[in-house]
Amino acid sequence: MGEMTALTWMIALPLLATPAIYLIGRLARDSSRAARWTALIALLLAWIPFAQAAADLHDSGTQIYTLGAIALRLDDFALLLAALSLGLGTLVTLYSGPYMQAEDGQEKYYASLVAVVGVMIGLGCAADLFNLWVWFEAMAVGTFLLVAFYHEQPASLEAGVKYLVQSAVGSVLVLLGIALVLAETGTLDLAAIRAEASSTTLLLAAGALMTIGFGVKVAMVPMHTWLPDAHSQAPSGISAMLSGVVIEAGLVALLRALGALGGVTGSWGELLMLFGALNMVAGNLLALRQQQVKRLLAYSSLAHIGYMLLGVGIAVYAREAAGAQGALFHMLNHGLMKGLAFLAAGALLYTLHIAAGDHGPLTVRDLDGAASRYPLIALGLSVAVLGLGGLPPLAGFMSKWQIFAAGFETRNHWIEALAIFAGLNSVLSLGYYAPLVNAAYRHAPSEAVRRGKPVPALLQVPVIALTVAVVAVGVWPPLLQWLSEPAGRALLAAFGF
Amino acid sequence: MSTLEIMLVSAFALVGAGLYGLLITRNLIKVVIALQIMVKGALVALVAAGQASDQLALGQSLAMTVIVADTVVAVIGLAFAVQVKRVRGTLDLRALAELRG
Amino acid sequence: MADWLIGLTIGLPWIGALAVWLAGDRRAEMQHRLAVVFSVAAGAAALLLLPSYGDAPALSIEVGSVFGTLTFVPDGLGVFLAAVATVVGSLAVIFSVDYMRGEASLGRYYALVLLFIGAMVGLALSGSLFLLFVFWEITALCSYALIAFYNDDPKAVAGGLRALIITQFGGLGLLAGALIAYAYFGDTQISTFLARADTLPESMLALMAFGALAAAAAKSAQVPFHTWLPGAMEAPTPVSALIHAATMVNAGVYLLARFYPAFEGVAGWTTAVILVGLLSAFLAALMALVAIDLKRVLAYSTISQLGYMVYAVGVGGVFASQFHLLSHAVFKALLFLAAGAVIHSVGTRDMRQMGGLRRELPFIRTVFVIGALALAGLPLLNGFWSKELVLEDGLHHGPVWAYAGMLLAAGITALYTFRMVWLVFYGERRGAGHVHAPGLAMKLATGILAAGTLTSWLLAGGFGKMLAESLPFHDLHAPAALDLYETIVTAPATYLALAVIALGLAAWWWRDRLAGARDALAPLARAAEADFGFEALNRRIVTATAAAAESLRATQTGLLNWNVLGIVGGLVIVLAVLALGA
Repeated sequence: MGEMTALTWMIALPLLATPAIYLIGRLARDSSRAARWTALIALLLAWIPFAQAAADLHDSGTQIYTLGAIALRLDDFALLLAALSLGLGTLVTLYSGPYMQAEDGQEKYYASLVAVVGVMIGLGCAADLFNLWVWFEAMAVGTFLLVAFYHEQPASLEAGVKYLVQSAVGSVLVLLGIALVLAETGTLDLAAIRAEASSTTLLLAAGALMTIGFGVKVAMVPMHTWLPDAHSQAPSGISAMLSGVVIEAGLVALLRALGALGGVTGSWGELLMLFGALNMVAGNLLALRQQQVKRLLAYSSLAHIGYMLLGVGIAVYAREAAGAQGALFHMLNHGLMKGLAFLAAGALLYTLHIAAGDHGPLTVRDLDGAASRYPLIALGLSVAVLGLGGLPPLAGFMSKWQIFAAGFETRNHWIEALAIFAGLNSVLSLGYYAPLVNAAYRHAPSEAVRRGKPVPALLQVPVIALTVAVVAVGVWPPLLQWLSEPAGRALLAAFGF
Repeated sequence: MSTLEIMLVSAFALVGAGLYGLLITRNLIKVVIALQIMVKGALVALVAAGQASDQLALGQSLAMTVIVADTVVAVIGLAFAVQVKRVRGTLDLRALAELRG
Repeated sequence: MADWLIGLTIGLPWIGALAVWLAGDRRAEMQHRLAVVFSVAAGAAALLLLPSYGDAPALSIEVGSVFGTLTFVPDGLGVFLAAVATVVGSLAVIFSVDYMRGEASLGRYYALVLLFIGAMVGLALSGSLFLLFVFWEITALCSYALIAFYNDDPKAVAGGLRALIITQFGGLGLLAGALIAYAYFGDTQISTFLARADTLPESMLALMAFGALAAAAAKSAQVPFHTWLPGAMEAPTPVSALIHAATMVNAGVYLLARFYPAFEGVAGWTTAVILVGLLSAFLAALMALVAIDLKRVLAYSTISQLGYMVYAVGVGGVFASQFHLLSHAVFKALLFLAAGAVIHSVGTRDMRQMGGLRRELPFIRTVFVIGALALAGLPLLNGFWSKELVLEDGLHHGPVWAYAGMLLAAGITALYTFRMVWLVFYGERRGAGHVHAPGLAMKLATGILAAGTLTSWLLAGGFGKMLAESLPFHDLHAPAALDLYETIVTAPATYLALAVIALGLAAWWWRDRLAGARDALAPLARAAEADFGFEALNRRIVTATAAAAESLRATQTGLLNWNVLGIVGGLVIVLAVLALGA
């Protein structure tokens, strides 16, 4: 057993904190508060090994840690996922304080949340296929509990059931893929598979099974049907995590697996681009007529996963890092923007409905006049959705530009057309984003707004922080590109290009 | 047919049977059972793969891990089913289809 | 020096926007004052920038990665448009002090107007296509938010959304152009592109050229993308004057003018540009003739006049187009602000409720008539010189059919202008209610613009010199001011145009005797009222998209069995793709 390094601490801290949060929450007198503070402290502490690991990575390249047969491998791609999940996880923990204050069983909530953060960091670092599956499954289990946290609410329960069943099917398909790879190459180590893999039917089938299996979690169309339910029914902080990090973690897992099979066929790039196009158009059309805000945002996540798939597909197709860099930059930006959108919408949901003991959905109509009473929340929501719609100078446009630029650099007319098509989708998406802004800035308040109570200050802090971040990254993209540029290269290296 | 092929075919048959069950059943308990059948197929495939690559121990340890992980999923699934029955009074999937569009 | 001035011209309005927002709606007086101070200061900075024009980047910011270097180039086209944006912008802000007094959400209003002014300056001075596109979109965002400023009015919201979506749709053409430049040259500097445009593959250059035309048509509200502009009239009137008459809508013409040297050789491009300009000028003039909403008349008239500018670029008259842009910016801003004063005074936009206002609003009447005469193209006003120059270029360098159409449109322009002036200020008052007197700030803003309408044509010489000296890729020669005036005054075409304009005037004068002709043209009038079918086309696209969305929603059944079938379907897709690929 090796020494504990920054890498292992970064993963171990949240995982060790999980039982501690649960126990402290169970035993302490003011159980909710104790659980929340333990969770927050654990996540804040995890930033220390994160910074150290980032520095180690920068100074001496890929960090490897082996524990018996299990190997963890931190490259820039994994670092990006770690940054995203720690960052959003910390903000969501902060946010959940007031949001969840009236709920029972908060120790379970915080324990699961922190566990999921740790597991996602681990998932990024998995160096062999089976290990990847274990992290992936652990992430799924953690999120099942969080999605159905309101287990007395029929709608949450329904969402939880669908999410569980579809995830489980995906997970079985992944296992089949793993079995085929093992049978064919005799190894599970990602790098070794890449060295061994040749173009055989069995490996092709394995790739297909894993694409679908992980694809369920990534919400690739037509495996996306669980997503609008789960993301809209979960507590809003969890919605932010699910949309902002968890489906992206699924994408990371998919790309790690496909990377190992990079040499099996030249079609991975086309396949990813195809799903990208499907996701964009289906996500946007499904969101277009949606009247429930959180469900609308959930569908919009489909579209944004589409942009990421497009970028990665371009990179794999052209064997150039640019597309992957754009896609990963978009992954970070989407985390910020969708996180912001869900937290802002959640703040309204909380004050307008939940605080009044009502578990109904937040509708577009409820937003009417929100700006007059909740100016900062309305501004945050507006910045988030306009950024998601790709309006400069907000973060979303910058990463879309990078993806499109990579597409045009291939000088392939089909891909150029696809990039234009993606742009067209952004225009279409404004058809449902912009009305949210219009509604918020009306003067005549909705019935819900008129009755609503003030938003707790702590609920506003993460919203303000993310609003500033979305604008700042839009004005100065290098603020985040230091993460995404090397990560894009690492991703391409994982494909062996 | 080699042993591997036979085992893989049966693995896929199990997974297919489970999948078919998921497509036709309307009962939540049966859904969990169908999932279990699928997982059993995956277990067969893993053990077969271990044997085919002369690493039977590896295949078996993978299978053990999957069993553990899968038990957790099954338990949560059944807990959901209990809760659904309590809240909705039925296990029929058609009663669990209110989130649509 | 120039770098500082550029920074100030963009930065001052933006800092002002933040300041007004921070001041908060409880301190309305302070918001008015802050907005005026920052916009006037930006105007001063832009005017100071005028003499330091040049063709080299004055300000560069290195971002790296795919964004390259962001540059600002104070060339003639740019500094001129920046000056127009900030000067008209500050006048619109001054006008707003009266117009918007007592309105709610003043902070949002001024912040967006100031944000717009800064972005418009940025657009004009951008030296890279990427940066140009960014500012292009920011102006569209401000335009949308200001059209929908009265969010409680569904018409305003619909108008804002439509403006946003149509300009964004067209903007894809510009985006594609920027992406092509990036892919082939490794950076998006406009100078690089203009210098090396001929090294691009023909198909790519054509895509860029027609993409730019689409973007320009959408932004400048040209046929077939013009439908958003009349809807944009739901915005507060100073915004219509600033964004939808004097500045943002000019961005399309500016774009065409800026890239003219690269695109003129693309097969069919100049013809397409001429056609777009001609159709817009002609059809919009007809629509202006039948509209009864004062602001809509002005909106159609803007489309029509922008058509003249687009046409001018199409026949190679880059200078003429920009000269007309200047004249139009001044007199149309004047007309809009004066119309705003009228609307503010009588409380309606319906011209059937007006009439006889010359007695109650003598000052506004005077400035409005000055603007109207310029719009009609009567001699010695700025609109006369620039319109004649456009027609002159059209006669000598463009096809005759297009020239004939533009000439006819000039006649219709005179006709609808006089109809509008008559309906608003002359005859008997048809509406009821008290008429408020316009405030001092309104008189100040319109007075300055009226003075500009009378004199801005005197700037032609200096303007021409500035363009000729700072646009190395445009083959422009600087005409001496006097030669220019002499050419116009002595050209037979001028008198032909004046005769047509006089015919238009006469047609209004003898409108009762021409009743028979009017009845004969009734079907045309009905077509014009129906926006020549473009409205219906818009609606059809919206309905079709909504129907597609609804039918896709039906696939989300909520039933777990179908969801699992989706997974199976996905597997089939993947296997099919892999089977085809391998």
